[in-house]
Amino acid sequence: MSRTSRQKNRNILAARRGPSLNVILTGAVVLVAVLVIGGVLVFNRSDEDGTASNAALFPAGAHTLSKVEGDKVTLVEFLDFQCPACSSYYTNITKKLEQDYRGRITFVARNFPLEMHPLAVPAARAAEAAGKQGKYAEMYHALYDNFDQWAVEGQSTSSDVRRATAEFEEYATAAGLDLERFRTDMASQEVQSIIDRDVTDGTEAGVNSTPTFFLDGERFQPTGRTVADIDRELRARIDAALAG
Amino acid sequence: MSRRLAWLYVVGGGLGLAAAAALTLEKIAKLRDPAYIPTCSLNPVVSCGSVMDSPQAAAFGFPNPLIGIAAFAVVVTTGVAVLAGFDPPRWYRIALNAGTAFGFVFVHWLIVASLYDIHALCPYCLVVWIVTIPLFWYTTLDTWPALAPLRRLHSAVLAFWYALIASLVLHAFWDYWTSLL
Repeated sequence: MSRTSRQKNRNILAARRGPSLNVILTGAVVLVAVLVIGGVLVFNRSDEDGTASNAALFPAGAHTLSKVEGDKVTLVEFLDFQCPACSSYYTNITKKLEQDYRGRITFVARNFPLEMHPLAVPAARAAEAAGKQGKYAEMYHALYDNFDQWAVEGQSTSSDVRRATAEFEEYATAAGLDLERFRTDMASQEVQSIIDRDVTDGTEAGVNSTPTFFLDGERFQPTGRTVADIDRELRARIDAALAG
Repeated sequence: MSRRLAWLYVVGGGLGLAAAAALTLEKIAKLRDPAYIPTCSLNPVVSCGSVMDSPQAAAFGFPNPLIGIAAFAVVVTTGVAVLAGFDPPRWYRIALNAGTAFGFVFVHWLIVASLYDIHALCPYCLVVWIVTIPLFWYTTLDTWPALAPLRRLHSAVLAFWYALIASLVLHAFWDYWTSLL
């Protein structure tokens, strides 16, 4: 056998050994990458379609300002009653939005009192205590509508608990609440644990400032600079969710 | 230098050159009209606008794609010259390896910036990432005989590297990808 034909034979034999290690490894890497990435994405999707993330954002008993059957489109707001930005959002965006989309979306309000606001927790307690008598929405509106009366002193954040409590009791009376019960509930551990649950859920969902909105579980991150821009953006997103 | 590497230079360098040229044109359009929205800005995540406006987009004080236009042109030219019969001397190949190594490091710095600082992806930049990695890898393998054992696993290493970056991109823009499904 000549040298060249021997070489040829060897080549044929080599070819019969099948694909090289490089090709096998490359294929394996690509296959594993596709399976892992695809699998992780698909699994996450089934999670999102389920109730896992929604249950954390909208647990049973959380207060709604607007509610529709089946919660087709759900807007969740984590708010602090004493935060000036939340108050500005309320005045310029959510107050009107709540009316305009009443009966079309479920609008959930969750507590996220920030430490820098000394009256945020008492206000959240007042709202939750009113909620125990079925008047959460009334107290929510009263707290924001009268923001200047209890939350601020001139330009600065108020820490006057006595004045705030007197105001809260006034709103409770105006809403027709049983004032004695309102006072007891406000001081109760049960109301505090609702606020704690909201803060825990918010922290887990990545909330670190207020107001933070989630539309159908997805965090709303406005790009607009003015409240009018943000209002338009939020409405566009809600409209898209309603259409889709 | 092998003809396969020369073809990689022509194709990979050509793609990189096209992407760098496109980015430069977008940059000029944006300078002319600050309100201009680049053709590759599709949504908050896929947005070359936010990438181009970042400080990292002019790492050396001038827009990065200018480096790309100069450097990828050298890569394409080298590929064409080798296909035409040019046999690059040792010093030329080492210099080319140094150049592609710089591109490789620079691109990874930009990937980190894009994923963790700017939080946006730019399609033209993705093209540059994708071509720069094999340009560096195969130039290195071709330049240093000591790396011969690695040549047997050339595409496996490349695939692994791509998979790693793909997972980082997936992880960094997790919310976006899941919203697409």
